[in-house]
Amino acid sequence: MNEATPVRRRSTVRINTTSDQRINDSKTQSQYQPYKDAAWGFINHWYPALFSEELPEDKVEGIQIAGIPIVLRRVDGKVFALKDQCLHRGVRLSAKPMCFNKSTITCWYHGFTFDLDDGKLSTIVANPDDPLVGTTGITSYPVEEVAGMIFVFVREDDFPLEDVPPLSSDLPIRFPENSEKFPHPLWPAAPSLMDEGAVALGMHRTGQSNWRIACENGFDNAHILVHMDNTIVHALNWVLPLGILPNHEEPITLIEDEDGPKGMMQWLFTDRWKPVLENEALGLKIDALNGRFYRTSVVMPGVLMVENWPEEHIVQYEWYVPITDDMYEYWEVMVKVCPTDKEKAAFKHRFDRVFLPMCLRGFNDCDLYAREAMEEFYADGTGWDAEQLVSTDISPITWRKLASRWNRGIAKPGKGVPNATKTSSIRLRRLAEGKAPGYFVQKIEDVNSY
Amino acid sequence: MTGTAQHRVTLAFSDGVEHEMAVDPGGSVLEAGLAAGLPLLHQCRSGSCSSCLATLVEGEAATLPGCSSSLLASERAAGQRLLCVTGASSDCRFALPYDSKVGENRAVEGHAFVNAVERVAADVMRLELELAEDCWFEFRPGQFIQIKVPGTDQTRSYSIASTPAELPKIELLIRLLPGGVMSEWLLGQAAVDTALEISGPYGAFFLQEASKAPVVMIAGGTGLAPMMAMIDVIRARPGRKPPIHLSFGCQSAEGLFHGEAIALRSMWLPSLTVTTSVDRGPAPDGVRIGNPVEAVGADGPLDPETVAYLCGPPGMIEAARRHLQALGVAPGNIHAEQFVAS
Repeated sequence: MNEATPVRRRSTVRINTTSDQRINDSKTQSQYQPYKDAAWGFINHWYPALFSEELPEDKVEGIQIAGIPIVLRRVDGKVFALKDQCLHRGVRLSAKPMCFNKSTITCWYHGFTFDLDDGKLSTIVANPDDPLVGTTGITSYPVEEVAGMIFVFVREDDFPLEDVPPLSSDLPIRFPENSEKFPHPLWPAAPSLMDEGAVALGMHRTGQSNWRIACENGFDNAHILVHMDNTIVHALNWVLPLGILPNHEEPITLIEDEDGPKGMMQWLFTDRWKPVLENEALGLKIDALNGRFYRTSVVMPGVLMVENWPEEHIVQYEWYVPITDDMYEYWEVMVKVCPTDKEKAAFKHRFDRVFLPMCLRGFNDCDLYAREAMEEFYADGTGWDAEQLVSTDISPITWRKLASRWNRGIAKPGKGVPNATKTSSIRLRRLAEGKAPGYFVQKIEDVNSY
Repeated sequence: MTGTAQHRVTLAFSDGVEHEMAVDPGGSVLEAGLAAGLPLLHQCRSGSCSSCLATLVEGEAATLPGCSSSLLASERAAGQRLLCVTGASSDCRFALPYDSKVGENRAVEGHAFVNAVERVAADVMRLELELAEDCWFEFRPGQFIQIKVPGTDQTRSYSIASTPAELPKIELLIRLLPGGVMSEWLLGQAAVDTALEISGPYGAFFLQEASKAPVVMIAGGTGLAPMMAMIDVIRARPGRKPPIHLSFGCQSAEGLFHGEAIALRSMWLPSLTVTTSVDRGPAPDGVRIGNPVEAVGADGPLDPETVAYLCGPPGMIEAARRHLQALGVAPGNIHAEQFVAS
């Protein structure tokens, strides 16, 4: 007798997928399912790529954002960005930059040459008559440069260029134009990167956690406990509460103006939030002298603004730019409007002496390790189900919901890119050589030795 | 006049691809096209399912003798033809409402396992399937599959409510009918891990290429299924999202389902507005009494570029077509899938 082939279930093992089943499917969790799916970040948003000074004239750099390798080149002052993955066989153009003129970049392996402007394949070094020339290309990314920072619109290959929104729609709201809507009686209007004369000083470095864990740390009003022993807090005798509790029916207001950034403002240091300065049971009491009023807000795709921080007339911006599902580029930037060279020099002087060592390092180093301490709980996807949230977590929950609503796309797991495959031998060798995986391409420094 | 001569027929796909072929007297355009190897959508081959819908743009083409078509007189007058029952009365040209790639999603036969069976309303079941090892296909949101009802020789067609990205999982929404073979199986025997014989995908009702034109979706009962798939696919498309109005209607409050799933889509997709209606009261909060067709255009005129998707019983489809055309929607922009309960 002819037995029919038995019907079998298909094997469902997949690599690089996020958890598709949660243990508790409570309504709240499902409201931010898109956020939980965004392990590789949100795509079709503006992200900082480099500080202007990191890309001098004619330099080429390779980075990775939301699983997409990106090559940047500056020509005659203008910055161009293309997908850093040759369409031929995937080689990273930035690994060994080859540029024969001002309008193209060439893949150093087989000579595929792309227009900087639109990514079109304009010739092949040793095969200029190939029928492929002119018919295909690699994705180009819109670029904006403001106040010493280079921003790239990281898009899906088929995101229409005419739909690219202005950079300002992915930057924090501005003051004083929002001073009436979000009054701030305790400090002067915060400067903006877009302000005339704005100077941005800061640093960026790779953190080893998912970008969401990092982002949620910045505006979590219970996290300030980790800062209680930071040097600057004691040196300047700051009153930094043990924590800040929501104390109003609307402690957070959504920012959802039609053509503006989408995010949320926390009404810190108003009666809507209650600072906690004492815990009797533990015998803890904050009795410092100097009030340090500040306010945090966050906008898509994860841009933190800390107004009035670390002192008057300065604002701190932070980005947690996804690189892969387990790394992010941590951007800490202080912005001040400096109309004259003298003021600029004074800001730089104070930045180098105080803010860089004691705030961006010091104080924020503490955030960096705190995020990594949380990473493993979430890395396999189970943390999103297992976390036990409390009242102060209104901040991350509100953020997760608004991010689920206002993202312009969920990045897919990186394809054919570094650090997507965690166990590749090349990655392990680099680790053994003491090179941590990160944001920048590994360049070939000496063409004659390796 | 059907005529006795062979005629040349041109079929134009929406992506500009065209094919010319000969159609014999007495033969259908569909048979001739399939014989020529063209990727034409079709399913029932008997003038009812409307999968093979095309628009006659030049020449004359009539329903073959002895055949009947489910098209309305107004639809025929607007040039619409079902190619499976249409012959060529002269040299003629048809425009197809889909591109030349669609027909490449050829229907396959295979198995799918039951992952979950769940009653979501008084008369609606949600059936989650997972394609077995022997079965894989791609589909466009809006298309349907057929399932052989276990223990019978009957098959039933259901639109897919999930997206291609969720394959191998497939979600269906199935209306329960007293005495229906599928309904009895679902209520009496359906169990997780049962393997079902399925085939698909089928149908010419599916989401059109991305555009900025506003979208109207009118869904009656389980006609919501293909709309859920289309909404989720629009949400994942890159670029600015078009405004979408989903008008969903059921007979009564007991028949409503998927309220939470719809609310989530409204939350995740700022350009989506949803109206829910019941034919007769009482209506829960936020639900209007009336039919889902009238809810469209109630707040102001429609954009003349509006693209509409309709899925529900024949009466609803007919009323919706008339309503939308009266509101200025081009007949060619109205895509419909009607189902007959069985």
